[in-house]
Amino acid sequence: MEKSCSMLIHFDKGSPAMANEIKEALEGNDVEAKIDALKKAIMLLLNGESLPQLFITIVRYVLPSEDHTVQKLLLLYLEIIDKTDARGRVLPEMILICQNLRNNLQHPNEYIRGVTLRFLCRLSEPEILEPLIPSVLTNLEHRHPFIRRHAILAIAAIYRLPTGEQLLPDAPVLVEKVLSSEQDLSARRNAFLMLASCAQLPAVAYLLSQADHVANWGDLLQMAALDLIRKVCRSNSGEKGKYIKIIISLLSCPSEAVVYECACTLVSLSSAPTAIRAAANTYCQLLQSQSDNNVKLIVLERLNELKTSHKEIMVEMIMDVLRALSSPNLDIKRKTLDIALELITSRNIDEVVLTLKKEVVKTQSTELEKNGEYRQMLVQAIHSCAIKFPQVASTVVHLLMDFLGDSNVASAIDVVLFVREIIETNPKLRVSVITRLLDTFYQIRAARVCSCALWIIGEYCLSLSEVESGIVTIKQCLGDIPFYTATEEGETADASKKLQQVSSVTVSSKRPVVLADGTYATQSAASETAFSAPTVLPGSLASPGNLRALILSGDFFVGAVVASTLTKLVLRLEEVQPSKTEANRACTDALLIMTSMLQLGKSSFLPHPIDNDSYDRIVLCIRLLCNTGDDVRKIWLQSCRQSFAAMLAEKQFREIEEIKAKAQISYAQPDDLIDFYHLKSRKGMSQLELEDEVQDDLKRATGEFMKDGDDANKLNRILQLTGFSDPVYAEAYVTVHHYDIVLDVTVINRTKETLQNLCLELATMGDLKLVDRPQNYTLAPESSKQIRANIKVSSTETGVIFGNIVYETSNVHERTVVVLNDIHIDIMDYISPATCADVTFKNMWAEFEWENKVAVNTILQDEKEFLNHIIKSTNMKCLTPPSALDGECGFLAANLYAKSVFGEDALVNISLEKQADGKLSGYIRIRSKTQGIALSLGDKITLKQKGGSN
Amino acid sequence: MGRCLGGSDTLFGLDARKRNFRFSISFHGSCICALLTAYLFYKTESAESRPVTKIFLRCAWFTMVVLAASIVTKSGKVLVSRQFVEMSRIRIEGLLAAFPKLVGTGKQHTFVETENVRYVYQPIEALYLLLVTNKQSNILEDLDTLRLLSKLVPEYSPSLDEEGVCKMAFELIFAFDEAISLGNKENLTVAQVKQYCEMESHEERLHKLVMQNKINETKDIMKRKASEIDKSKIEKNRGDKGGLMALSGPRRIESSFNDMSISNSGSGFGSGSGIGLSSDVESFSIKPKGRPSASATAPSKGLGMKLGKTQKTNQFLESLKAEGEVILEDVQPNVAQSKSSLPSTDPVTLTIEERLNVVIRRDGALNNFDIQGTLSLQILNQEDGFVQLQIENQDVPGLSFKTHPNINKELFNSKHIVGLKDPNRPFPAGQNDVGLMKWRIQGMDEASLPLTVNCWPSVSGGETYVNIEYEASESFDLQNVVISIPLPALREPPSIRQIDGEWKYDSRNSTLDWSILLIDHANRSGSMEFVVPPADSSVFFPIAVRFTAASTYSDVKVANVIPLRDNAPPKYTQRIQLIADTYQVV
Repeated sequence: MEKSCSMLIHFDKGSPAMANEIKEALEGNDVEAKIDALKKAIMLLLNGESLPQLFITIVRYVLPSEDHTVQKLLLLYLEIIDKTDARGRVLPEMILICQNLRNNLQHPNEYIRGVTLRFLCRLSEPEILEPLIPSVLTNLEHRHPFIRRHAILAIAAIYRLPTGEQLLPDAPVLVEKVLSSEQDLSARRNAFLMLASCAQLPAVAYLLSQADHVANWGDLLQMAALDLIRKVCRSNSGEKGKYIKIIISLLSCPSEAVVYECACTLVSLSSAPTAIRAAANTYCQLLQSQSDNNVKLIVLERLNELKTSHKEIMVEMIMDVLRALSSPNLDIKRKTLDIALELITSRNIDEVVLTLKKEVVKTQSTELEKNGEYRQMLVQAIHSCAIKFPQVASTVVHLLMDFLGDSNVASAIDVVLFVREIIETNPKLRVSVITRLLDTFYQIRAARVCSCALWIIGEYCLSLSEVESGIVTIKQCLGDIPFYTATEEGETADASKKLQQVSSVTVSSKRPVVLADGTYATQSAASETAFSAPTVLPGSLASPGNLRALILSGDFFVGAVVASTLTKLVLRLEEVQPSKTEANRACTDALLIMTSMLQLGKSSFLPHPIDNDSYDRIVLCIRLLCNTGDDVRKIWLQSCRQSFAAMLAEKQFREIEEIKAKAQISYAQPDDLIDFYHLKSRKGMSQLELEDEVQDDLKRATGEFMKDGDDANKLNRILQLTGFSDPVYAEAYVTVHHYDIVLDVTVINRTKETLQNLCLELATMGDLKLVDRPQNYTLAPESSKQIRANIKVSSTETGVIFGNIVYETSNVHERTVVVLNDIHIDIMDYISPATCADVTFKNMWAEFEWENKVAVNTILQDEKEFLNHIIKSTNMKCLTPPSALDGECGFLAANLYAKSVFGEDALVNISLEKQADGKLSGYIRIRSKTQGIALSLGDKITLKQKGGSN
Repeated sequence: MGRCLGGSDTLFGLDARKRNFRFSISFHGSCICALLTAYLFYKTESAESRPVTKIFLRCAWFTMVVLAASIVTKSGKVLVSRQFVEMSRIRIEGLLAAFPKLVGTGKQHTFVETENVRYVYQPIEALYLLLVTNKQSNILEDLDTLRLLSKLVPEYSPSLDEEGVCKMAFELIFAFDEAISLGNKENLTVAQVKQYCEMESHEERLHKLVMQNKINETKDIMKRKASEIDKSKIEKNRGDKGGLMALSGPRRIESSFNDMSISNSGSGFGSGSGIGLSSDVESFSIKPKGRPSASATAPSKGLGMKLGKTQKTNQFLESLKAEGEVILEDVQPNVAQSKSSLPSTDPVTLTIEERLNVVIRRDGALNNFDIQGTLSLQILNQEDGFVQLQIENQDVPGLSFKTHPNINKELFNSKHIVGLKDPNRPFPAGQNDVGLMKWRIQGMDEASLPLTVNCWPSVSGGETYVNIEYEASESFDLQNVVISIPLPALREPPSIRQIDGEWKYDSRNSTLDWSILLIDHANRSGSMEFVVPPADSSVFFPIAVRFTAASTYSDVKVANVIPLRDNAPPKYTQRIQLIADTYQVV
């Protein structure tokens, strides 16, 4: 076990104070100088100097000082010095400070007494404490509560020492007496805590005797009482009944902290519906009454825990939970919605949806900056409600369709995706939705929303009137044909030149974008709003249709979508329209529109001409309309929808699978072995261990409790540092905890001589820092020594530790150096696979600054095999669903994602193409916020991508 | 000084009692304890290394604690950190280094949770003030603590940047220590923390003042003594032996010294050593029979506790009322049992006190006999303040009342009712006693004295026999009677031949305390006889007497509390006491 560290102070190495300067100042009479010197001494000590010569100076010149600050600093100094020798025995000179401590404990100044008592709590040497005990005990009766408080703490601390029961055998009795007469709240709390942890029985007796007054105890004491109740009930669950009443009475306590604690205690003690309901109610009240976001989030977290363990009760509380939506904070809203969504049942769905609808309407009426994002969240929530309970779709879909024209593109996209899914899964709603969509279509501004809406129109306009009005709507939105006439060319030449200049700026910001399937696409960064072209054009003045605006801004992808939609509509019209002439007229209209789009695309009017892809598609549509056949008709009118239905089915299937997988996780098997706490890592829990579970929380927090990996794995991590024929053989066993690396180095003297001053010198490269200075050892012939070194890591980066072993032998007074093998710290220790939504991935991809591009160079021939190889060697998760990777097409694009223990994100995109000669070519791009990850992950991939042998 | 050194001998010596190891199992006699202890033992056995168990013991205090309070820069440099539980350096540094990476931007909440710990933080300009807690910790408490700390930091740090915080790092650590007592929350205000850190102690100042006075006084005496020694040398030369008289001087020094140590409550005063009288003081060190009388704190403690108690119960009462009746009814069944531990307090408390100032001459004549009485009132709740008090008293000659200026004099004179001039104003409520009325009784004669003390010192052979007797009047039952008789400086406590009651010898003040717990009709008179080495009879005076009684001369009583508003008369208690303030036989 390492020495504990009670404080850290930043130390500027620029001005190192010399030990003798400090000594001089300490010996002087100037109090200010003394304080300064003492501070410097403490800082030096904190930074690993040992300053042994200073102790006597301090005993002689500082101990007698009457200045309060000096005395307090002195206590800090005593706190951090080593009070024991290497074998754990108390240094003899420590007896010198006892007298001073004793005087301090009898000092007329109550604060000096208090701080000294507090210092005693941090001491663990019974030899020093023993002579002080009588003084501590007299302080228990001091008039001043400040002293009594600390005296109780000191007694508790002494009693808790391994030999405490011998030092102070009657401590519990004393403290019990104090507790019954003490009036100061804090002192009573301390006394109660001491009893609760050292002598539970009197504490329990006191609690029960005061049971009716607990509600009037101060909040500090009530907290301690709750803590005791939890402790007792864990070890002796039969006694629960006695305490529940106390807890219930505390629930009506004015202190919110106590109320919160009560609720937590109730949940941990009982799983009775009434208790859980009471706890949940309390949480909901706190959620309402507390304005602090932190509290709200943590209370929501507790509710979330309740949700997993007692779902049926939480279902009743759903409306109370939803009230938290009134908070302006988005995180809270999101969490609330997350909880609520999992609590929806057929019984409360109507109410919930009603609330959500109200919230949606509210976002419309009030103009807050975050409204768009919130609306998006609500839309997603309603979306998932509607999938679970299709009957609610009809009530919300119309409301939501008002938001198709939302200026917040993300929420509009969510709405249109929702509409798309509903219209497929809910055939009854088709007619009304389509009518509504056609009515509101002109409001849609965003290109992505537009194309999705067009697709819906193309697919789901079935009846004659629908098809006709669909065509009319599109036409209206496109405005007058042609978009562009040659006569205007001369007039607008100047304007277009200007435009050219404007757009040259915007074109430069063109950047590659990853599509949902992982492929790259070039998208104009000049969004629809960047262009003012439509307003310049005379043709557009009459009806500034949204489609027209989009197309005139150069978004020919929308143009292609318009073309295919028109094609679909015309094909369908031919089926449903009895009059051939009408159908033909529609067909020619569509052709006209398509050709004018092509014409616009080819003209010099726009800064950049139509892209080949869109051009091809429009031309394809024209060809199709000119020459229809049954096969093609079938593909256009049916296959599209079938594949969409298949996609939805797959999505649902995956969700069901996930739920099933979750349900199948069993917490413990009946025939599991009982693990003993100290012998093994903790999985199953026996009764005694259950009792410790809470303390583990604390122990984990203080870093004492670490999960141990498999012993078998440990052996794999042994690194040989020197050769077998070196005079000193060394090997290291590397353990990587979260933020620190521990090197356990075994050093063996292979010679017949004694090695003196043997020192393991380590140096690091990268973001690593050595914590302790190495010590010198003497190694007898052919003996071995275990040396432990701690290294701190602060970011995910491949680090290298290198070093020497230096020693002297008795005959040769020169130092001999053995250079050690380098130890590479593997980045994979810090990375763990993680998932994130497509949208988040895209956002991060766009946002992150560092990119490392690695060209694919491998002997593997199969794309998927290569992908799996990379996934395995980088320990990342593939975000691209397996279905999207199916099939043999010679291409592969996939996104990988992982998170480091420091919370850093690592994104990888793999784009592969199979060459004609069977080799794979392409790039792996790594993006991250910090350079370290991008670089080291790139190195790792370069190293591993070859594949084959390893 | 000598005492102090003597004390330290036993301090470090092996005290046999302490070596009597007892197991807590048998000691508490509780099976849970036994089980726990056994379990701990089991753990100790099975654990690979002992320190683990030790740490387990020491930090498993409370399951909700603050692990550390720290200030870090936004870039992650740790400026100050104070840990409240034992944790290794690498651990805390790791936790703090990880923190800036975990803090997201643009969030509206200020806590981060990791697998093991929770950080609750607050940005202060370019710094973060943060608490590291375990995940079970109560967030509401932690936020309170953080709020307190965030107010404290600007109080101590001149500028809220790296430089300012580094400069005042130690002061901040002191303040953190006060605000979070070993990881547990304290309900403190900024002002209180500042007060605790300033360490301005009234008692210390008083102590220093007393010390200074004593030193000055002793210096004077030293000078005088020096001159006396000079004189006595001259007298010695003349063959005259007048040493006895000269001794009275030093004795006074010693008694004053002992006074000093009392106020000091036994702390060895180092600076006093320069006076060079330690050998004299040593001869007065505690004798086996005499109990150490250094517990000067005891009476003052009692007083302090009493005050605190009433305050406390008031709080209880108020919160009880605030919470409505349900809980009150719940309380009922167990009230009788719990009453012993919680003093009952009524909304109205009346205190009637009479203080005696009596100086009697040795021959029994009165030098001074004066009685002063007060009536004071304590009202807890403002609503109960609208009352008037019906007073009853015995007609005693020489009794004269004086009322507080705000009291309606006419009403009192005509009807003996104490009420405020303005009936619409309530009596002030609160913790303090409000004096309403004073009275004096003068011109009493010896016959009405509650207690007379006769002291007959007589020298016979080489010793002085002292006979003391008391006689109490029929009218009072006296409690806690203590008769203190000054004695000449003695090597040993006086030998008591006969006594009614108990005695105690205070060697430091060299007084003999004769205490009788209760004087009632069973023992209206009593006597004591003790023997001391020959001494002048005047040494045994002045005799001081202390006692209390439950009835008064004037017999002032509150017969009734009359409510002014038409509600039920509030419950009231009255405490009636007669106290001997100064009661001396000179």
